[in-house]
Amino acid sequence: MDVLLTERKVKRARAMRIPTLLEFERSGYSRMMPGPMPMLSREELLDIESPLLAPRNRHISRREAGREQAPMGQGGVDPALLSLLERTTFGFSQSAYDDAAAMGYEAYLESQLDPASIDDSEIDAMLAPFDTLPMTGQEIYDTYPNMLGVPATQLIDATILRGILSKRQLLERMVQFWTDHFNINMLDGLVPYFKNTDDREVIRQYALTTFPQLLNASAKSAAMLYYLDNYANIVGHAQENYARELMELHTMGVNGGYTQTDVEEVARCFTGWTIYFSPQLGEFVFYEPYHDFEAKTVLGQFIPAGGGESDAQTVLDILAHHPSTAEFIARKLCTRFVGYDPPEDIVQSVKATYLATGGDIKAMLRVILQRNVITYLTTPKFKRPFHLVASMLRATNADILSIGLARNNLVVMGHAPFLWGTPDGYPDTLEAWGSALLLRWGFASALFDGTLSGITVDAPGLLAAAGGNDPASGTQGTDIDMILTGGRLNPAEVSALQQYYNDVAAQGPPAVNDTFGLAASVPGFQWY
Amino acid sequence: MSDDPAVGQGCKEFQEWTRRRFLKHSGATAAALISLPAWLPRVVRAADHTSTDTLVVVFLRGGMDGLSSVVPYGDPNLYSPNLRPNLAVLPPGNVDGAVDLDGFFGLAPALAPLLPAYQSGQLAIIHATGSPDPTRSHFDAFSFMEYGTPLQPLTLFTGWLARHLDVVPPVGNGLLRGIALSDLIPKTLAGAPATLPIRDPAVFGFPGRFQTEAERRAVLETAYTAANDPLAGAAESTFATIDLLETIDFQNYAPSGGAVYPSNTFGQSLRSTAALIKAEVGVEVVMVELGGWDTHNQQGVLAGGMASLMDVLGSTLAAFHLDMQNQMNNLTVLVMSEFGRRADENGSLGTDHGHGNCMFVMGGHIAGGQVIADWTSNELLHPDLLHEGDSLAVTIEYRDIVAEIVQNRLGNTDLATVFPNYTPTFRGITM
Repeated sequence: MDVLLTERKVKRARAMRIPTLLEFERSGYSRMMPGPMPMLSREELLDIESPLLAPRNRHISRREAGREQAPMGQGGVDPALLSLLERTTFGFSQSAYDDAAAMGYEAYLESQLDPASIDDSEIDAMLAPFDTLPMTGQEIYDTYPNMLGVPATQLIDATILRGILSKRQLLERMVQFWTDHFNINMLDGLVPYFKNTDDREVIRQYALTTFPQLLNASAKSAAMLYYLDNYANIVGHAQENYARELMELHTMGVNGGYTQTDVEEVARCFTGWTIYFSPQLGEFVFYEPYHDFEAKTVLGQFIPAGGGESDAQTVLDILAHHPSTAEFIARKLCTRFVGYDPPEDIVQSVKATYLATGGDIKAMLRVILQRNVITYLTTPKFKRPFHLVASMLRATNADILSIGLARNNLVVMGHAPFLWGTPDGYPDTLEAWGSALLLRWGFASALFDGTLSGITVDAPGLLAAAGGNDPASGTQGTDIDMILTGGRLNPAEVSALQQYYNDVAAQGPPAVNDTFGLAASVPGFQWY
Repeated sequence: MSDDPAVGQGCKEFQEWTRRRFLKHSGATAAALISLPAWLPRVVRAADHTSTDTLVVVFLRGGMDGLSSVVPYGDPNLYSPNLRPNLAVLPPGNVDGAVDLDGFFGLAPALAPLLPAYQSGQLAIIHATGSPDPTRSHFDAFSFMEYGTPLQPLTLFTGWLARHLDVVPPVGNGLLRGIALSDLIPKTLAGAPATLPIRDPAVFGFPGRFQTEAERRAVLETAYTAANDPLAGAAESTFATIDLLETIDFQNYAPSGGAVYPSNTFGQSLRSTAALIKAEVGVEVVMVELGGWDTHNQQGVLAGGMASLMDVLGSTLAAFHLDMQNQMNNLTVLVMSEFGRRADENGSLGTDHGHGNCMFVMGGHIAGGQVIADWTSNELLHPDLLHEGDSLAVTIEYRDIVAEIVQNRLGNTDLATVFPNYTPTFRGITM
């Protein structure tokens, strides 16, 4: 390369305040180095209060609580619709079911696939106190200098609240799916400055568009460039952290057919893809002096010398259209939405859809969520802790003044949003989550005992509205089952709940709370 | 992190009845309390407890850089300008040089707290070891190493340690045989009988109102007995574990020998492990994980990220060694990582994924005070000997080390079940 040209670029780079390698060494930009760079810890997250939610919205929720308890006859439940609701939401609620039933299966699914068509102003208004949500990295840095916990907990809490309250539930399910897929650990150095933007402008913006669009956006996301170190991927000895995970976890899968040489070549293609630290913290920049301008070969495709920024774009295009990527994404989607071991023909059908549509996410979801698949081919999935917590709060229409203690419980259960350390994302397996039961029972007890400050559930009121306020009625078990799951607990569980209620009913309202807590703890509530 | 007051699960009430329960349990043997430490529970010692060790597995996630932690300073290639011009730790005697072990290997300065254990003969190091599978994917490497089937198709989804527990009779009452001090069960223990993930064993009580605890518990016990696995088994272990752990007062546990555990999560996990082992409630294996070793960028061997991690590891293991002196004859600690890192540093003062690595083994019947390695011609870092031209080779299979411990220290000769389709070569790590 022309030496003078390079020098000029270095000068320009200094003006742009991209740290040089030497500056990296000396400045404490290092993600792990204690000292000037503040680090956020898991324990710290537990101490940060969550913004109080506006009372107006809480009152709306209350009013709805009364409205939504219209009795639902057993014969009035459409099992296919209930299954679709379970697969496309973070849990059953009577009002969500009623809304879906009013539209019918296909119309409900289409509306969920078009989230912009769903009025979500209520949750948007509730999130007004979460002031970092719309901010850029620089704005967060200016507003909350060295207070990483504020943007981190705001995004975590907003994600939990949206999971519970957003009417765009399929979008929220897909946001969680892609957040797992493109995992970024909030506790990694500067990530709290960047993850807000990633969530807003990568994950949410492209969650229901096409996979190539999502992949391209992720590759330029400051949070990703920082988390997987590509911001420090420099000509000479390219470093391969992002390159490897890009192929292994984001696109082709570990057995997708690439080699160690491909990893090294992809790493060379991505040299120079970095971010500003000043004046616009976290803004993407292709920085030429870091780039390896020599020729590369990726997956057998020759990339000639002198390509610059387009080298990595070429790689992204190759990967996005690779059959291994189509298969990897298809299988992962089916595992999330159909069952742990999805039927092979569904996977192949979704893969074919990917290849035919250029990775259209809605098109793939239409294949997966069609009535015949949902009715006949789905197998039960174990609620991961986020799903479990959200499903309890959704079903009971909990009155939420502050979500902070739900967050803390999720941290302790190992499933608060954005806290998975390694780039593979929270696991979606029964083995991973199926043995930690006590914390699940603990959350149910705390919620219904009223010890989760800021979150209130009126269990006796719910039961009364369902017609079970007469202790002699003998229908409390069934009523609670209908309130919490739409009638999905097994009969032995329902009769055990009824028996428990009968045995302790003399103790008054706490007996009702206990019975709800038990209902949310029995095996039947742990699945969907 | 031992107690999270902000979690808000009725903590006061919970703690109150736990204490009450504890008093109730210990009241019957009040006389014995006089001569024993207050934290020690009254549990009958399992009958034949001397023949097998309790095993503590520490898994270093992310690919620990064994060339920085246990420095082969005797290999001249380490100081080649092509390998680690910025990262190589200098030989002993230099400023920030390695702490000598045997004239060839030395500890990184941050691991100096391990020297007393090494010198006492209870800490051995194995170098150029690891899984033979060439994968450089963390997640594949976890699977191969933890399921114990490298170079074989991934068809067995149970951990090697789980299979060990499965084929040996329980040492104690079998109610709680394994604990992972983490949120989720690691692959090493996948499918293990009577094993739970418990991040903080000090907080493990049945939740909710004390007045109705017995009735609610009965409902759940019945409901989960009818559930499918893994829920039924997990629930059974959970109830048993609630009863076991409430007999141990973790908060007031007093380490022996003046040992002081670091206040970080890892340090406190080993402190809990010590309390758990001394309580002799029948726990046979404990697994603790320490992440953050994926040092692609700004590795910080002397000061910085990796130095901090090594300090956490070294000072914690040193405290554990001191604290557990009276238990050392029935204790083995195994420290491993999924792979090592490349021999050459990258362009951002870090190292990428490599292959061979070192392991640490500590215990009263471990042939310590030595670094066991097959370091060809003292030049295993020579370009011709590097694995795939860029990484430390694996000259000693990790299964050789683990299998020897399983047979000689855990009393299990069924190695074909623990490591199917593999015939280990014992390396003299036990004695």
